[in-house]
Amino acid sequence: MTTETKEEQAARFSRDVMPFLDSLYGAALRMTRNPSDAEDLVQETTLKAFAAFDSFTEGTNLRAWLFRILTNSYINQYRKQQRQPLQTSADDLSDGQLNDVGEHLGLRSAEAEALDQLADAEIVDALAALPDDFRMAVYLADIEGFSYKEIAEIMETPVGTVMSRLSRGRKQLRELLREYAAERGFVAQEVGS
Amino acid sequence: MSCGNHHDTPCVEVLSLMWVYLDQEIDEGHRIEITVHLQECPPCADHFTAEQLVQARLRRCCKEAATPQELRTSILAQIQAGIRSS
Repeated sequence: MTTETKEEQAARFSRDVMPFLDSLYGAALRMTRNPSDAEDLVQETTLKAFAAFDSFTEGTNLRAWLFRILTNSYINQYRKQQRQPLQTSADDLSDGQLNDVGEHLGLRSAEAEALDQLADAEIVDALAALPDDFRMAVYLADIEGFSYKEIAEIMETPVGTVMSRLSRGRKQLRELLREYAAERGFVAQEVGS
Repeated sequence: MSCGNHHDTPCVEVLSLMWVYLDQEIDEGHRIEITVHLQECPPCADHFTAEQLVQARLRRCCKEAATPQELRTSILAQIQAGIRSS
């Protein structure tokens, strides 16, 4: 194994990590819900990542590794500042309950098209209104496209918990979108039948 | 919620597996069963389409944001400072 100089490591960091900066900042913005905290969080994440870059094995999942640092930093620091416990009480759902949740979603494409008329800002607001751990799970799956296993590693939680958070988070998000659409008078057009 | 027709895989099972299917986390056997079911059951296919539409919209709205230039500059400066101090 060849030893890398600090300069070489910094060059490798810039080359490999900096391309993820926009996606880390995007995630930080959705987690913290304000640009100033998002900047602090990304700064903290990149500094921690640089300090620990030695321990990162090249060729393994760098994006997941960075998101794990970001998520942990958010949970540890920003949550503490807000003095709010992380909402985990509703995590444990049996399979039956999970199936129930899936069944009651019942979204129709006509209704989805009505929801699609909402403004971008309203969609962003709905995501922001979700409890932290639901919001993170939904963000990591739906926006970043991480697998359940990757999300479990990033959030340091079992895969079953990830699935439960996703299921509940997605359901709540759709309920909110339905409320917003109803307030705006966007109604699903019934097709055919 | 059902189209009333008989299916080898019942609608209720298909809908309960909807997200593991859409998230591409499903095993191959169930994936095939659901794909077949969706071809013959318009109401279930409609649910799947609806969820994908919402998911795609969410992704477009919330995906990465442009990092402020000062932040980018400050991170690069701190990396440089980190090298010098070591």
